[in-house]
Amino acid sequence: MKRLLFAVVLLCFSSLLFASLKAPERSTPGSVLSPYSYVQPFHAESYEKCMSAGTTTTKSMGFGNASQESSSKMDPEICSSMYWMGTNRSGVPLVEYASQGAKIVLFPSIFAGLLTCLFAIAGGLLRCMNIPFVDSVTQVFSEIVGALPRMVVIVICALLLPRELRGLLPLAILWSILSAPTAMDEAGAVAMRLGGARFVEALRAHGFGAFRIYLYHIVALNLRPVVVRQGAEVMMQVVFLELSLSYLAIVAESGSLTHSDDVRSWAELLHMGYAAVVVNEPSMHALMIGLSLIALIVVMATSLSTMARAR
Amino acid sequence: MKKWWIRPGIRMFAAFLLPILVPAIITMFIWALPGDPASIICPIETCGLEQNRILAKELHLDEGMWSFFSHWISQAIQGDFGRSNYYGLEVLSFQEGKVDLLSESIPNTSLLILFSLMIVSIASMLGSLNMPSKKWDPVIVMIGVIPVIVLALISGAVVEIAYPGAEFPNPKDWLKLIMGAVTLGFADAAFSGSLIGFRETFAREKNQRYVGISILRGESLFSNTFPNVANGLVGQYRARLLHILSGSVIVEVVVGISGVGDLLLRGTLNQDFSVVLAAAFIFSIFSALLLFFQAILECLIALHIRKAPSDIHMYEQQLEAT
Repeated sequence: MKRLLFAVVLLCFSSLLFASLKAPERSTPGSVLSPYSYVQPFHAESYEKCMSAGTTTTKSMGFGNASQESSSKMDPEICSSMYWMGTNRSGVPLVEYASQGAKIVLFPSIFAGLLTCLFAIAGGLLRCMNIPFVDSVTQVFSEIVGALPRMVVIVICALLLPRELRGLLPLAILWSILSAPTAMDEAGAVAMRLGGARFVEALRAHGFGAFRIYLYHIVALNLRPVVVRQGAEVMMQVVFLELSLSYLAIVAESGSLTHSDDVRSWAELLHMGYAAVVVNEPSMHALMIGLSLIALIVVMATSLSTMARAR
Repeated sequence: MKKWWIRPGIRMFAAFLLPILVPAIITMFIWALPGDPASIICPIETCGLEQNRILAKELHLDEGMWSFFSHWISQAIQGDFGRSNYYGLEVLSFQEGKVDLLSESIPNTSLLILFSLMIVSIASMLGSLNMPSKKWDPVIVMIGVIPVIVLALISGAVVEIAYPGAEFPNPKDWLKLIMGAVTLGFADAAFSGSLIGFRETFAREKNQRYVGISILRGESLFSNTFPNVANGLVGQYRARLLHILSGSVIVEVVVGISGVGDLLLRGTLNQDFSVVLAAAFIFSIFSALLLFFQAILECLIALHIRKAPSDIHMYEQQLEAT
């Protein structure tokens, strides 16, 4: 079972990595007069039309080489990307949205996940040291940071960040700090159930060194499920945070708080799909792709935490 | 055991500190940013030099960070949050007939949170009663995994389909509130977390030896387990409420409810610092109240447990003796 879950995690992660590596630097503007407007996925007719196209006026379309102007035949890569995920109203393949969105979220979410793991480890180890003053300081930190409504803090910090520093990474780090109290509390509770300082004493009496006691017995063998689960959850939450912030920016018709304006987020797929539900735009495929990408992240995070679960 | 008051004491300290700390951090941030604070709040390119100077004078921005903060907090305690430089309206006004930004927003957000709290409370009650059975857990967990943005979109779509356009504003607003509450009540594990969390807490406590003995003595299960799990339950409940409060920012914007969260986001995007500070202050007061109530409940529970003729007194006497 664990091997299967590991394979799932690896598959999800490598798909995201591949997509982010293949993502074009800038989004293509598209054209309102594009003959490839709202091409549905697996639409063979549009694919053949694209492949057999001569000189093209839809120079904006592309995947990988989006900014290149083409006066020759349409790039087969563009046509196939259009075939797999369809296009938006301007004829831009939705693959571009998926890949650029993956590029926006991949590194910050992993970084935030790792940072949360470190917080959880610190929380667990501090409980094992049994220093009352440190416990009190940790509780004050947890109470104050844990009492802050996360989204409110994130929105305000997004505003206060200078424009050149705006991006998902600072917000992901902040989210990780705001999630730290939960992670530290849970890891601390596990450490206390283990026996805390008495457990360390017992292992010392067996002649084990500090490295083996703290890093192997406590962290690797006992805290691992909590640490990995917390990390995976924060990783998933950072992706959802990006989606939410980008969507809010779209609704408010403002510049994004998490990425530059020439890159597209997964939130735009959801926004496009919303129009399909409410005003019958033929963009249901965008909603499906957006939801599938969310499902991919959920599956990856759930598999990761289940994989690390204690026997 | 003897220092049971430390934890609630720290909570109370944090509760009093929070409403001051949040605006203080925002103020520090404004001063830490490169450039003149007045230009950050109201850029010269958009406000003009004259307006910028007037604003700096009005908000005490030209007298340094401490002057600005002390002035703002003293005014905020009196309910005066200043004037929005984007909307040109008072943020909150107690004068009758005067239009302001928060008077409509606060009731909407309160109703939204109250309705979503009902869902969470139902989940908590079901969990306490050990319902539904564990075989439903995968389904409940799956519902909990759905992010708030997706459920908010569904809610928004339901409202738009039911009441398209601007017709029927009254039923539409109520439907928005209800759908928003459903979103907050179910998204991001609010429902599933409450249900499973309460159920697990009670189930763990029921397996304790003292509960078995109490039942043999003819005492009820609930009266024995509840005082001991109450602290944990209150903590869980507060965490859920805080989560709902946080999610309300997204739900209000996506579903279209004009609440404090919506105001906060619009204030953020329009660089309207008076609105942002006021909204952040209100959120922090709400959160501080939750912390305060948790601390009070913890104290009451601890006193109740110590008042009861239980083994705790004996245990404490033993500790003193040793």
